[in-house]
Amino acid sequence: MGLIQRIIDWIDERAHVRELYKSLMIDYKVPKNLTFPYVFGVFALVTFVIQIVSGMVLLLYYKPSIADAFDSATYTIMGEIPFGWLFRHIHATGANFFMAIIYLHMFTGIYYNAYKKPRELVWIVGWLIYLVLILTALSGYLLPWGQLSYWGFIVTTEIPGSLADAPIFKDFFKAIAETIVLWMKGGYVVTDITLGRVFGSHVLIYPLLLLALVGVHLYLVRAAGISNPDGIEYDKKKHPDKFVPFHPYMTLKEGAYTMWYLAIFFFFVFFHISHFLPPDNFEPANPLKTPAHIAPEWYLLAFYEVFRSIPSKFWGFVAFSALLLFLLILPVLDWSPLKSARRRPLFFVAFLAFMYGSMALTILGSMEPTPLNAKLGMIFGAVVFGFFLSLPIISFIEYGWYKAKGGKEQ
Amino acid sequence: MEASRRDFISLGIGLLGAAGGVAALYPLVRAMLEPSKIAALGAVVEVDISNLQPMQVRVTSWKGKTTFVIRLPEDFKADDYKLKEGALNSKGTTNYEILKGHPVFALVGICTHLGCIPLWKPQGEEASGGKPTFHCPCHGGYYTPYGDVIAGPPPRPLFIPPQKLEGNKLIIGEKGFVQELI
Amino acid sequence: MTPWGVIKTIIFGGSTLVFFFILWFYNPFKHVEHYEVDEEVKEIIENPWKKVDEKSGKTIADEGRELFIQRCAGCHSLRYDGIYVAPVQADPRWKKVEQAAGRPVYRFGVLYKDRFFVPRDVYEAFAHEVLESFKSSFGQVPPDLSTIYLARGEGYLYRFILNPNEILPGTSMPPVFAGPSAKEETAKVVAYLKSVNTPPPQEQTKRAIMGVAVILYFVIFGALFWRYREVVLRRLGYH
Repeated sequence: MGLIQRIIDWIDERAHVRELYKSLMIDYKVPKNLTFPYVFGVFALVTFVIQIVSGMVLLLYYKPSIADAFDSATYTIMGEIPFGWLFRHIHATGANFFMAIIYLHMFTGIYYNAYKKPRELVWIVGWLIYLVLILTALSGYLLPWGQLSYWGFIVTTEIPGSLADAPIFKDFFKAIAETIVLWMKGGYVVTDITLGRVFGSHVLIYPLLLLALVGVHLYLVRAAGISNPDGIEYDKKKHPDKFVPFHPYMTLKEGAYTMWYLAIFFFFVFFHISHFLPPDNFEPANPLKTPAHIAPEWYLLAFYEVFRSIPSKFWGFVAFSALLLFLLILPVLDWSPLKSARRRPLFFVAFLAFMYGSMALTILGSMEPTPLNAKLGMIFGAVVFGFFLSLPIISFIEYGWYKAKGGKEQ
Repeated sequence: MEASRRDFISLGIGLLGAAGGVAALYPLVRAMLEPSKIAALGAVVEVDISNLQPMQVRVTSWKGKTTFVIRLPEDFKADDYKLKEGALNSKGTTNYEILKGHPVFALVGICTHLGCIPLWKPQGEEASGGKPTFHCPCHGGYYTPYGDVIAGPPPRPLFIPPQKLEGNKLIIGEKGFVQELI
Repeated sequence: MTPWGVIKTIIFGGSTLVFFFILWFYNPFKHVEHYEVDEEVKEIIENPWKKVDEKSGKTIADEGRELFIQRCAGCHSLRYDGIYVAPVQADPRWKKVEQAAGRPVYRFGVLYKDRFFVPRDVYEAFAHEVLESFKSSFGQVPPDLSTIYLARGEGYLYRFILNPNEILPGTSMPPVFAGPSAKEETAKVVAYLKSVNTPPPQEQTKRAIMGVAVILYFVIFGALFWRYREVVLRRLGYH
């Protein structure tokens, strides 16, 4: 003990780590009544670390060239390298879990209205993280160079091309569409150059961006304080009983939850990988033959379903982009200062509609494109749009009730 | 009682955490160390020596290592090289003692100092007394055609791979007039 | 928790679980074609590593490999196990290319010294004329079958090899096994394809044990954390 103590003292004299630890862990107070969903942020962080570590091992053996990509992933990593399979399984599971956790995290944020003042910046940076994460997932999906990888990428790069079908300013939109498609593909056809830049983006550019954004996100959360499930901003000085120190109260709870989360994670890694490494992707990419069922990964299916339900490609693309944009401007749409679905009955109902609407769109997106499917897609798409568009009105009504009650509790 | 239980659990957490960390390192390290096994595979190399002229060196690769195949004239005299003292192979002898009488043989062409590839200089150099020599350009090591050290930093002669002569074929990697890597 | 809290937990937790069950376990809305292996030969595909001859140690997979070389390798390569189309394999120069550009097959910890894995571009460049002639006679280059087991599964492969036109009308693949032993031979080839893509039983057991150990580790670790937290919080006066 003596020696360790002295080493810590030595570092502390120079780096003031004890002060840092105290201010970050103990003096940092969080609401005592945080609910379970608040732990998703921690899960996301843990998954991010898992992705970086497993990705590093895969990076050692993956070869970003059309001739070698499939073999390096499927022969070298899965067969030749001891535990190569383990790291590929972890990376594939991690990718899916990462998206799942981020969605749960976002829905939690929407439910508790964590995007409202003073947390607008937290939300906006979080939205950017979500975008970069989608790009990371899409680029990573191409790398194993299987049939699904290849055709998924082709279809994705063609989606911005829908702009060319614009009813007005045709030439203008066409030029933009062509530029975007060309930029994404790195040429008119998918070549080694395309694969090389997708690889570079996936292993360095996007992860660096993510790292920076996650850092800012965490800082902003600390600066603005964690939201309260009650939707009331308690004063830390006036209500010290409503707060607890981050360590050990939260850290140990989240530590335990994280371990159980990892137990589930590794169940998938060892015993249930077939949904994350789908069979169709074990067929090498063939530019001359499209596989029978080509759909994006599940985390984009809701957007995809909205896109394909709308008969016009252009308006499909507009709707697709509008959904993303609505997410960004949530703090503006939902303008009233009232927070948390706990105190907002109308919002609670709207949230349920939004949640089930998105789930339904996702599941519809996984099914064959039939006329009935398109009709259902339109209906649930309308529900999701309805959620966003009704928010200003809901805000107005609920704020009216709140005023009528005397506007207390704030 | 309360405190001792807490200490017990925290000790358990610490031990379990350390064990988990070490266990997680195992697959990581294995996955990163591996390819040695595959790289060491090109086990047997056959070299056709029918066209190899005296004083000529052919470069090939055995187990991923650069390997020289050399033919010396029948009357080649190696006795008047001045060898560096104490630089002996793993048998404790000079290479010449093992290879003498064999006009064609293979040597691992990797300088025993720091792993550069020596150059073959049949015309000789000043350091070798004007006689044919392998010269390592990195730090100035000189070897006789048998791989024995004449001068410079190399601590031991060039390695001799196991090899066998079958008519016009020198088979590197199979037991013959040299039984093992020396 | 209040009764309303319990209801909300059930609504949100339950919906999330059902949603991910559909996505990650079983999607009843998604149609999946299902193919069955004939009952009498199921056992052959079940365990390709089963020894058929105790003395020589020959396995079902070995027999399947011989059949594959005889009947399938005329058109199909299987690079992950060092099998290339017959005209290439017969070319004396190919052996040198294999040695120079390839590396011995090493799979799931087992080394096959006499089989060579050659990078795709090298193989396709060497076999260019052969593959082009296949293309002009069959319409397409018969695919390499290295990972076909993973991509299609045993039921599909069994049915397809036994009667290609039934599964894929208009295919240029002929039925290669006929006569009374057709089913058995087909099953042996499928078993061989399985053995190329699936870890052998010892390795599978190892992975399963590892999986159980890792999961148990995290469950116990989590429980320990939880217990520790209770003790610490009691000491600090929270509850």
